[in-house]
Amino acid sequence: MTVSTPIIEVQNLKKWFPIRTGIRSFFGEQRWVKAVDGIDFDVKSGDSLVIAGESGSGKTTLVRTMLRLIEPTAGSVNFEGEPVFTMLPDDLRLFRRRVQLIFQNPFEVLDPRHTVKDLVGEGLVVHELVSDEEELMKRVLNALEDVRLIPAEDFSRRFPHELSGGQLQRVAIARSLILDPKLVIADEPVSMLDASIRTEIMNLMTDLQKEHNLTYIFITHDLAQARYIGNWLIIMYLGKVMEMGPMEDILQDPIHPYTQALISHIPIPDPTEERHRIDIPGETPTPIDLPPGCRFRPRCQAIDEYCTDDEPELQQIGPNRWVACHGWEARKKKKQKLRHSSER
Amino acid sequence: MSVLRIEDLCTHYFLGEDQVQAVDNVTFDIAESEIFGLAGESGCGKTTAAYSIMRILPENGAIVNGRIFLDDEDVVVKTEEEMRQLRWRKVSIVFQYAMNAFNPVLRIGNQIVEVMLEKQSIDKEEATKKAKELFDEVGLEPERIRDYPHEFSGGMRQRAIIAQALAAEPRLIIADEPVTALDVIVQNKILGLLKSLQKKYQLAVLLITHDLSVVAENSDRVGIMYAGNLVEVGTTVNVFKESLHPYTYKLIGAFPSVKGPKRRLEFIPGTPPDLIRPPSGCRFHPRCPWAQDICNLEVPEYREYEKNHWVACHFAGEINFEVEP
Repeated sequence: MTVSTPIIEVQNLKKWFPIRTGIRSFFGEQRWVKAVDGIDFDVKSGDSLVIAGESGSGKTTLVRTMLRLIEPTAGSVNFEGEPVFTMLPDDLRLFRRRVQLIFQNPFEVLDPRHTVKDLVGEGLVVHELVSDEEELMKRVLNALEDVRLIPAEDFSRRFPHELSGGQLQRVAIARSLILDPKLVIADEPVSMLDASIRTEIMNLMTDLQKEHNLTYIFITHDLAQARYIGNWLIIMYLGKVMEMGPMEDILQDPIHPYTQALISHIPIPDPTEERHRIDIPGETPTPIDLPPGCRFRPRCQAIDEYCTDDEPELQQIGPNRWVACHGWEARKKKKQKLRHSSER
Repeated sequence: MSVLRIEDLCTHYFLGEDQVQAVDNVTFDIAESEIFGLAGESGCGKTTAAYSIMRILPENGAIVNGRIFLDDEDVVVKTEEEMRQLRWRKVSIVFQYAMNAFNPVLRIGNQIVEVMLEKQSIDKEEATKKAKELFDEVGLEPERIRDYPHEFSGGMRQRAIIAQALAAEPRLIIADEPVTALDVIVQNKILGLLKSLQKKYQLAVLLITHDLSVVAENSDRVGIMYAGNLVEVGTTVNVFKESLHPYTYKLIGAFPSVKGPKRRLEFIPGTPPDLIRPPSGCRFHPRCPWAQDICNLEVPEYREYEKNHWVACHFAGEINFEVEP
């Protein structure tokens, strides 16, 4: 079985955008927006990884760079063992068939002048995967049935404006699925939808994962929603991974001070639950001219003496847990001590 | 005494021959120092209700029935000129997209001063001083009243909008999705600010949102809307913990939580109805698992099922939500 081999490996990936204005660049000093600033992770086949972070954390740039939709500044990405950044056009085309993207807003993705059949079948035509009209129709109807748009014939003739938001997102999913992808990357796939419809789409995606042996990467800012779709979690802040590990482990026991604060601020639909918010001063800055040391330090409530010196590496601290924080060990000892003394 | 009292409000939009019944027979009130959360999904009429109170409906929209009292003054019968006197002074509104709420070519401070000069009898110097105080109060540096909107982050703009809403000392603030476009940490800071100001000035706040988690944590009482109807109103704890309406129960159950054990999420099959020709009887009956014959035939009465807990369902209190037929 190939269950444990990574389908995609990301190594030291960087995407810096140059700042072209200002007197300093005139005198030759180039400044950068370091949107993605050295990221490593891999995704095993059959897993479902959630990349979470606030706006400006670089999660969307990360995915766009991984897919070579924008050129990387440094690093490498391997898809099924093949390096993506040196692929020749033919291989790149195959790669882009094997990896499909689903976007937040299906209204913007689906051309309103085309029927559902044309929209869903477009990829097959572009990649020349069908020989005649009959086969195309058969594949389209199959894909529509896969996403539970039934009766498929009826839906295939409709235009986007004749569909609800949830139905449109199903069309977008069918459009990806028809190309038989290995990896599906979804950027906030349900955040535009009403709550009562979200669950249906998430359940559908979970079912499709089993039926089609898919691997998922989800990008989201909503950790509560993430819990229902992913088994792995990466928390990003200003272009770096702060924490990585199994979803439930991180939600129940976050280790990085940023993750702890972030989780404490997520509203929950229960008025009787008591909340303890961890304050983070200020707002997330733009990743330009970051201070030395840890990039979260200016807003961190748990700073240590080392935090100003060098940038903490993402280090493995347990069988499945990674964290980029100098202070975690000291905090852990303190916590144990406290627990110890309270037991006595 | 209530600051806002809405009775049998019906607001329709006119589309050629058709009428969209966007708000239909809505009744509720908000007391001084109270945050009332009005929640529901897109198209349920919550924003139309807010625009009816402000009387800022689009041209094809009109209040066709009902009364809206702001401190015993009926807004519905006011002339446009009389409404101008009420807006900002009695009631002001905070919109979702703070990005667009300020004119991008004018300094933010001037836009707040403008409101004060228009609505209060003070001179420019005094207004500027007051604008600085307001900035300080909402957590912005007073010197930054000379900044332009693009120099502010999303969270800062939302703070400035709140400062502007307070400029003419209103009794009621309508906050329409005030934090929806913001990240959670900023979101909480803005909501915290809104709550502290509400306490300090004994404001009545109408908090409109699609996010039931935000409602759960931030309101004293809650109203749930579906397809133009108010289906349930009560204290936040009652509505969340002892829901009476099937829609309320299902909608709350559709919201995930980061805390506690992972429970099964609810969903509601089907889509909200077309409000040009809404379903007969209870508007929720085509999607309701517990619907019976009467639900198709008779509009359920909006009634006080128990003290301060209102509901519009024929079978309120009789349904076991754990079991679907």
